[in-house]
Amino acid sequence: MKGYRTKNSFKAYIPLILFFSFFLIPMLWILYASFKTGSSITNLKLFSLEGFTMKNYKEVLGRGDFLLYSFNSLIIALSVTLISLVIGVIGGYSLSRYNIKLKNVWISTIFVAQMFPGVLLIIPLYNLMLNYHMVDSIIGIILAQSTLTLPFSVWLLKGFFDSIPRSLDEAAMLDGCGVLRTIWSIILPVSIPGIAIAAFYSFVVSWGNYLMASVLVQSNSTATLPIALYRLASSLTLQWGNVAAATVLITLPTIVLFAVFQKWLVSGLLGGAVKQ
Amino acid sequence: MRTYKGYIMFLIAFGIIALFIFFPLGIGVKLSFTDKNLLFQTEQFIGLKNYINLMHDRDFWIAFYHSGILVAVVIVLEYIFGILLALVLKQEIKGIHFFRSIVMVTWVIPIVATTIMWQFMSQPHYGFINMVLNAIGLHQFDTYFFGDMRFAFPMVVILHLWRNVPFFGIAFLAAMQGIPSELYEAAKIDGASKWQEFRYITLPGIRYTAAIMITIHVIWTFNNFSMVYLSTGGGPINATDVLPTFLYRKVWSEFFLGYGSSVGVVMLGVLFAFFLLFNKFYAKGMR
Repeated sequence: MKGYRTKNSFKAYIPLILFFSFFLIPMLWILYASFKTGSSITNLKLFSLEGFTMKNYKEVLGRGDFLLYSFNSLIIALSVTLISLVIGVIGGYSLSRYNIKLKNVWISTIFVAQMFPGVLLIIPLYNLMLNYHMVDSIIGIILAQSTLTLPFSVWLLKGFFDSIPRSLDEAAMLDGCGVLRTIWSIILPVSIPGIAIAAFYSFVVSWGNYLMASVLVQSNSTATLPIALYRLASSLTLQWGNVAAATVLITLPTIVLFAVFQKWLVSGLLGGAVKQ
Repeated sequence: MRTYKGYIMFLIAFGIIALFIFFPLGIGVKLSFTDKNLLFQTEQFIGLKNYINLMHDRDFWIAFYHSGILVAVVIVLEYIFGILLALVLKQEIKGIHFFRSIVMVTWVIPIVATTIMWQFMSQPHYGFINMVLNAIGLHQFDTYFFGDMRFAFPMVVILHLWRNVPFFGIAFLAAMQGIPSELYEAAKIDGASKWQEFRYITLPGIRYTAAIMITIHVIWTFNNFSMVYLSTGGGPINATDVLPTFLYRKVWSEFFLGYGSSVGVVMLGVLFAFFLLFNKFYAKGMR
């Protein structure tokens, strides 16, 4: 590949470097600070090994409550994902395959549901949950966050199922498979990209959600990571080392999932829309 | 296929969406016509009083104005930088696949992490931005940007760009790659300039994707609560206060559930009006 790096192609990298400096420096900077002692953070220098420490991570992970918040966040995000997938699959499949009356009305209605401001929805949700003793409960947070992911999940999977030939289902049904059996063993295996994106989207939205949790969490026992991290970052005795380490830890799972799912991300996110 | 099974599945899915989204929304709209307050048990139907009070609430109009400016500025910049990023990522140069695959990482991380990263970047003296400013001799700007009346709003814009420009870039890149190369070849034969190619082939080619991206992002930006609340809380004073943070404060700090609901209903109305207009002009432009 000699001659590839001519002067001209070096020029091509300049805008690339500018863009990626903007995108990556904030992440690298907090990662760098997370390995620094408190005094060397407030006197932070570029590329210096001064004050290197693992103490921040030890302190954050050593706090029992951090593990509790991680556990809460994980349970909630997994539940939201599961609910969104189950409802997304049966809703999407029925809208894709059956002649439901007023189908287009329902599809637009589901699209419109994504437009409702979360700040508005949480008011009546809080009121309702008060009556059923679901405020400050994990299940309440799961239901509230599901409202953010359900419509998109149905909409996305409907679009995906549309792209799968109907002959596949018909063949399976002729062989005597029931509907659920057909979905499970014929449709799902060929819709992995769609399922993956619906799952990824639901998980990431729930994992990072602050709004719903901030209203419904009223004690430490139900707090999620975003709530805990915001409290840590806005406390009067702010310790940047711990905040930086906690920020890296809350970000890490989303980056790992992103690495796995990114190849499907754009086609998945826009696919449902393009096929409308 | 047997339709009744389809109806059962549809009714389950739609019923759950109706129960957890449309039913609460209905209650929210109803609340907006009451004086419901978290501190009191009673609530009374007061008709349009909340909406009338809203029209005379100066803070509401400030938040309304900020929301409008924020959406307009953010969407225009995301569109422009999205196209630039797509053009940069479209180049077939060594290592470009790596950059294409990692660029959307800013979009997936929790917003609370985003705001903390940028707050840390903005710390006086040791934040990265201020270090750079000091290094090039601009000491007079060394300040905490989220706490400064002049810079807080631009910082909120930057937060949005940081998160969403990669999504625009990747979506436009996908759209550009879908434009048939014969079009460019034909243009070359006709002696078209690079700018003409871009103006008459590339831009129309990404038009459909652009409409979808703009639609989605107008909703997200207009409704987005966390980005502003977690970075500035609407401050300093109310320099960055937008409708979602205004509503949140009214309901969860001042406990006016009814009043806050009316703000949400207005937000929904604004979004609907926007899309009616957008669809009309967009559909017109496509013909």
